Amino acid sequence: MRNVKYQIQADSIKASSLPGKKFARYFIYLLLLIVAIGQLFPLVWLINYSLVKDGDLFGPDLLIWPRDPQFKNYKVAWVDGKIPQYLLNSIIINVVSVSLTVLFSVTMSYAFVRMQWKMRNIFLTTILLGMMIPLHATLLPNFMSFRAVGIADSYLGLIIPYIGITLPLGTFLMTGFIRSIPVSIEESILIDGGTILHIIIHAVFPLAKPAVITVIIMTFFTTWNDFIMAATYLASDRYRTLPFAVYNFAGQYASRYAVQFAVMTLVALPSLLLYMALNDQITKGITIGALKG
Amino acid sequence: MQSYRQNKKTIFMLVAPGYAFFLLAVLFPIGLSFYYALTDWSGIGSFNYIGFDNFQRALGDRVFWHSLKNAATLAIMTVTIQHPLAFLFAVLLDRIGGKVERIFKTIFFIPCVIPIMVTSKMWVSIYNSQYGLLNKALDFLHLGFLKQQWLGDPKIVLYSLIVIMMWQGFGWAFLIYYAGVKSLPEEVFEAAKIDGANRRQTLGRITIPLMLPVIAVNVIWAVISSLKQMETIYLTTNGGPGNVSQFLANYLYIKAFDAYEFAYGNAVSVLFVAVCLITTVVLNKCFKKEYY
Repeated sequence: MRNVKYQIQADSIKASSLPGKKFARYFIYLLLLIVAIGQLFPLVWLINYSLVKDGDLFGPDLLIWPRDPQFKNYKVAWVDGKIPQYLLNSIIINVVSVSLTVLFSVTMSYAFVRMQWKMRNIFLTTILLGMMIPLHATLLPNFMSFRAVGIADSYLGLIIPYIGITLPLGTFLMTGFIRSIPVSIEESILIDGGTILHIIIHAVFPLAKPAVITVIIMTFFTTWNDFIMAATYLASDRYRTLPFAVYNFAGQYASRYAVQFAVMTLVALPSLLLYMALNDQITKGITIGALKG
Repeated sequence: MQSYRQNKKTIFMLVAPGYAFFLLAVLFPIGLSFYYALTDWSGIGSFNYIGFDNFQRALGDRVFWHSLKNAATLAIMTVTIQHPLAFLFAVLLDRIGGKVERIFKTIFFIPCVIPIMVTSKMWVSIYNSQYGLLNKALDFLHLGFLKQQWLGDPKIVLYSLIVIMMWQGFGWAFLIYYAGVKSLPEEVFEAAKIDGANRRQTLGRITIPLMLPVIAVNVIWAVISSLKQMETIYLTTNGGPGNVSQFLANYLYIKAFDAYEFAYGNAVSVLFVAVCLITTVVLNKCFKKEYY
């Protein structure tokens, strides 16, 4: 159907094109190309400069042909940037936060939409209010209270705030979706002697799959790319996440510019690869999340 | 069956674990922040209760208002420069179709998925006066006289930051418009075609009016995220030089942790929440209601 539409429009463009209009069209194409290059070129530059010698950066060339690519920059970045340790921390923290956010947003949403209880509007409203509260307003008090209860320097010190911050959007998206699931399915499970747990596992999760995927994607990108919460709550190096590989290099290797470019490339790589692999799911998930949220 | 739906124990099991995280990490801290804001605590040692002095001080603080002005500048520039371009490209790519559509769509969103730590530090390098890409590019184009201290000159630093934020946020704005364009009903366009509408009429009388709800969502989102900017500022200029490029979320942070005015930082933090809530509610009242 869509192709038909393009065909019709393409014909109408041909039929109605005057010389002036043609010029306007080339101008728009040019603009499209300029913006695309502007979006991408800094990253190409980043990768390019990560492969040269530190001293070669200061020449006049925009891009430097890496005649002798310095892969050892990446070796230094990998080892001295503590990438393996940070990557492992990132993976552990994100897997736990994302799974729990998904689980809790499903269970809470189910209770908000389907269960009958007096306080549900108060609870739902406060959760949704959370979508408007900027995470930066929680940084100072959490810094103090996490330190006071001794979770500042642990996986929990990041997992707790990550779940708290991402739950409101997750719950919002999930309540909307669960409302659209027909009650009859649940009732037949109840009649067959099933419990609410059965309903959630066998009916809500499978039927709400698009919403679950959206929540996973939105939560993952928030927590994977986070830096300020990790910078605030963690007191030592031990539980730091991937972005800190960049942060650590600034002082220690201030003059080793090419190595800094290499570490930036390495830190960007997981997100980039994931985006390339799951391009369609990610953009679809994010548009659902953004348009509803 | 009704009893199932009213079972208190089940409800508790479903709600309590998740709500506990939210309460602990979001609601309780906001309350605690308000409590700290009423003291004169530096962050270490003992403190006294001083009432609303910190709030009064914040409302008379020039940096506070300047930060809001910077957020407004960012919001206005985003909505007037980034959004029209994103909208235009969304409509255009939908018309072009095929592989070209896919490639551009993929490219536009790439900066959005890269961690802000990398994009911020990368842009610091781009603006670097010795090896930075921007000054080199100006030399390359024989525009060397335009070279600047992009992050050091108080007159242009805010605009340099706005470029970073618009660069990174472009994919978002584009993607939302693009999804909006894709969701428009085709029959309307076919009817317009049959009625002999040209492309400009189609855009002005059909596409834009039908897209108004999406435009509203996107613009509201842009304004609120302008208000909430923090990480990019923190990792590039930290609000400097002076407080010229300061934003509220960064200001409260450096007040609390760098200036050892923890209580004052919390007062700014509480006001920041209030500003965000009010802006969200007002914008939604003004724009969203008309279309839904």
